Amino acid sequence: MSYIVPIGPYHPALEEPIHAKLYTEGEVIKDAEVFVGYNHRGIEKLATERNAIQTLVLVERVCGICSHSHALTYAMAVEAINGIEVPKRGEYIRVITAELERLHSHLLWAGIACHIIGHDSLFMHIWDERELVMDLLEKLSGNRVNYAMVTIGGSRRDIDDDLRREILDGCVKLKTILDRIAVIATTDKTVAMRTKGVGVLPKADALRLGAVGPHARASGVDIDVRRDAPYCSYGDFDFDIPVVDDGDVFARVLVRVLECYESIKILQQALENLPAGPINLGTKLPKIKEGQAVARHEAPRGQLSHMVVGDGSLNNHRVSVHVPSFKNTPTIPFMLRGNTVADAGLIIASIDPCFSCLDR
Amino acid sequence: MQEYKRIDIQKDQIVPIAEKMRKNGIYLVMIHAFRNKDGQMDVSYDYAVDPAIESYHVVGEESLPSIGEIYDVAATWPERELNELFGLQFEGLDMSQRLFLPEEMLDPQGKGQIMVMPMSELLERNGRGESK
Repeated sequence: MSYIVPIGPYHPALEEPIHAKLYTEGEVIKDAEVFVGYNHRGIEKLATERNAIQTLVLVERVCGICSHSHALTYAMAVEAINGIEVPKRGEYIRVITAELERLHSHLLWAGIACHIIGHDSLFMHIWDERELVMDLLEKLSGNRVNYAMVTIGGSRRDIDDDLRREILDGCVKLKTILDRIAVIATTDKTVAMRTKGVGVLPKADALRLGAVGPHARASGVDIDVRRDAPYCSYGDFDFDIPVVDDGDVFARVLVRVLECYESIKILQQALENLPAGPINLGTKLPKIKEGQAVARHEAPRGQLSHMVVGDGSLNNHRVSVHVPSFKNTPTIPFMLRGNTVADAGLIIASIDPCFSCLDR
Repeated sequence: MQEYKRIDIQKDQIVPIAEKMRKNGIYLVMIHAFRNKDGQMDVSYDYAVDPAIESYHVVGEESLPSIGEIYDVAATWPERELNELFGLQFEGLDMSQRLFLPEEMLDPQGKGQIMVMPMSELLERNGRGESK
């Protein structure tokens, strides 16, 4: 029997609105479509009526998980137009915030994935441990979300020696915790049965469809903006880009677990070699010079790009925000085909979708 | 600082460049657009030729060929978005369904898209009165 099974836009397994239409033959998904746009907020339009500092605050609210990524990428684009060179210490603090953000984002996703597959004890364990990262972010910025750490020309808050030590100690603790989580996530039978061979996206499809971030790297595509187009002193750090070839949900778990270790490596190097000097240029409200720039950042979910056009006034002429979920969401129907309806929620969640980002 | 190379091209070069990039395994970062000071559309096809971005600009065209056949959804989603935001037309693009914005946000003449319409008019349309 053929059925059309609708999932969402309101669904218990998905915290944000997306609608998927599954065309099934019995329990097997033959084809699928996704529909987005349930929460479009017109942020790009609003940005044309804001100056650079106001826009930093605005774009930081595109997403509650990768808020620093948006502020950072927008600032990088404005700095490129205005020819602003950020002091080294400011860049390192940006990197430290970005990597802590990646850790909390990956742990958040891992928890949700465990909840969806029915491994709730691991979900609670991961989210409990994630609090360590959230506490560090709170100590660093004063906030658990929307860190407001970026300004045009650098970072807004410095890291003193006590905090530097505390984050370094946190990294050691986190590594021990990760070792425990990694063993369970990669060897537990429940996790393996629900994720291995499920929602496969082959490398050729990932390349053709333009998948980015951990989602692409789990399909064997070796891309990462931090290495391929270094920014914010990422070139100073020694880290690996984990790539797994299987392309299934398990591979996506594995890539994110391995990336957490790499983030800790970057954090330790940045904190141990934190350069002396100013954290920003003390830039007052800058006019955005006439010109155009695109900045790219490897956000937790993949490549994030901001295009900014300035016309010499205080306000942006145009800001275009393109998020990793914009690239990864259209791949969902291709992953769903041939899988069962019971796995649809997990497959959709496996790209770590952010519809708040997507419907910016 | 990441390098950004602007390269101006004509409309008929869009497809051959996309084909060449796709053949070389180059990622299409995004298709961006804005209306410049002269009121002309400036559409840019940004490719990740790492470590730089090569940005191919077409200025003054309101209708462009779709590169959906070459880059699949990586191109059709940005094209559909630009159609909704600016009213740009992409030849060969299936626009039978909306991507982000509801039907009532579209002007029948294709001129009322949100990036083009003044904020005050947008708010009025939504029953929100004056801007700010």
